[in-house]
Amino acid sequence: MRLNEVAHNLFIIEEGKQSFPATKSKYPPYYGERKYGNLREWIPYRSKFAAMVMNGYMPQIMNDWKVLYLGAASGTTLSHFSDIFDDGMIYAVEYSAKPFSKLLKLAMERKNIIPILRDASKPLEYSGIVEKVDFIYQDVAHREQIKIFTMNSNIFLKTNGCGLIMVKARSIDSTAEPQDIFNDVIGDFSSNFKILKTGNLEPFHRDHIFIHLVKG
Amino acid sequence: MKKWKVWFGEIDEEIEASDNLVSSFYAAINDEPIPFSIVERGVQIFGSEEEYYRNLRKTAVVAGEKLVEEELKREDRYAVMLLKSLDQVDESINLLNEKLRDIVEIKESKVTDILREKIDELRELRNEIEKEIELVISKVCPNLSEMLGGVISAGLLEKAGSLERLAMLPASTIQILGAERSLFRAKARMKKGKVARPPKHGIIFQHKYVRTLPKTKRGKMARFLAAKIAIASKIDYFSGELNPELSDSIKHRFEELLR
Ligand SMILES: C[S@@+](CC[C@H](N)C(=O)[O-])C[C@H]1O[C@@H](n2cnc3c(N)ncnc32)[C@H](O)[C@@H]1O
Repeated sequence: MRLNEVAHNLFIIEEGKQSFPATKSKYPPYYGERKYGNLREWIPYRSKFAAMVMNGYMPQIMNDWKVLYLGAASGTTLSHFSDIFDDGMIYAVEYSAKPFSKLLKLAMERKNIIPILRDASKPLEYSGIVEKVDFIYQDVAHREQIKIFTMNSNIFLKTNGCGLIMVKARSIDSTAEPQDIFNDVIGDFSSNFKILKTGNLEPFHRDHIFIHLVKG
Repeated sequence: MKKWKVWFGEIDEEIEASDNLVSSFYAAINDEPIPFSIVERGVQIFGSEEEYYRNLRKTAVVAGEKLVEEELKREDRYAVMLLKSLDQVDESINLLNEKLRDIVEIKESKVTDILREKIDELRELRNEIEKEIELVISKVCPNLSEMLGGVISAGLLEKAGSLERLAMLPASTIQILGAERSLFRAKARMKKGKVARPPKHGIIFQHKYVRTLPKTKRGKMARFLAAKIAIASKIDYFSGELNPELSDSIKHRFEELLR
């Protein structure tokens, strides 16, 4: 087993022909992932961020960042973010009560998660809770993905802060060609932000791309 | 002077600390972005950043637990009430339609035109209610919704009483849920010494995969479907995450039985 540290507390484990990401964690498994000593396997089929890392892209991050996470669901990816941003704070917004109730259990265990049951398309409804952040991560699978990100970054993202958006073609338009949708989305974002990198998440998540950008 | 609402109270020139953090947490709504640092002001109240975040976390968790419980309770009741009104509207449409037919057999008039219009409006209303049921059900029980659609799922919730109770029922009960009346009738007939067959399926009989099969195979399909519903309702109740394999397995079984 060989370890390669690609970011704070984030490793790529190489085991024979296989390789996969894992985060250093003192906490037990959360969603059925394996544990190797103090490393928690990060399953790329379950998390788009892990899929992006598997595909060779690792955005610059700092472990003391303040993070706004939109669409946290039951906290699969969030649990690894909590390992990585171990000296920061993550505001986790989710609007569906059922997955949120599982996320609450995670928030009780960890010290750096603020759970918020709210609609991300109405950011002013949590404007008295969330502070200015260094990083917005968005994975909402919602038709209004671009609008949601733009509104939240206008209110909460620091100048020079970064964003990472996981775009699902089918939830924007289920009939158009994914590549056309992606071109439109990237075009829309580049009028307000500086795009650092885009890429696909194959073979782990079909018809998805990530967009990494910075607020100029 | 504008008052800004933050999770620990209200701020204008001064900070007015909330005496109940759990209720001020989800009330921290403003009509424009807050122009100052929430954390800096909070530190004035809590003494240090560490204390600020410790209180924020604790409050978020407790307020979250409370809100989740309210939402979950409200949503499945809302779906059931919508279903009841859907049934009522359906009944009204049928009744009015019958009357209309009776009247126009004798004579058409301005009144019969209006009546026809009103019935059409009721049909639109009916479709709106149905759409809302689909939406709510897909949030409350995504797996049942995927397998059965909103209306049948809501019917099961209604008969069982709630998602929680449905999740506790064995498949054999789920299979005849909604058939209580015919079960009762069958028993009454048997008591009188007459022949009667107990019902094989209740609400789930409405499902197209049961309804459209040849009679001899419906029982098999209903049993299979009930077993999958028993699993799906437990997943919906405990985790609420969608498992597409469940609805796929039903389709396969249906196609098998068709052959
Ligand atoms: C694909 S899942 C996210 C998975 C999660 N990011 C992970 O990797 O563990 C999308 C989530 O976004 C949530 N969502 C969709 N629209 C939303 C909105 N307007 N506000 C908040 N959450 C939303 C859904 O309820 C769902 O849980």
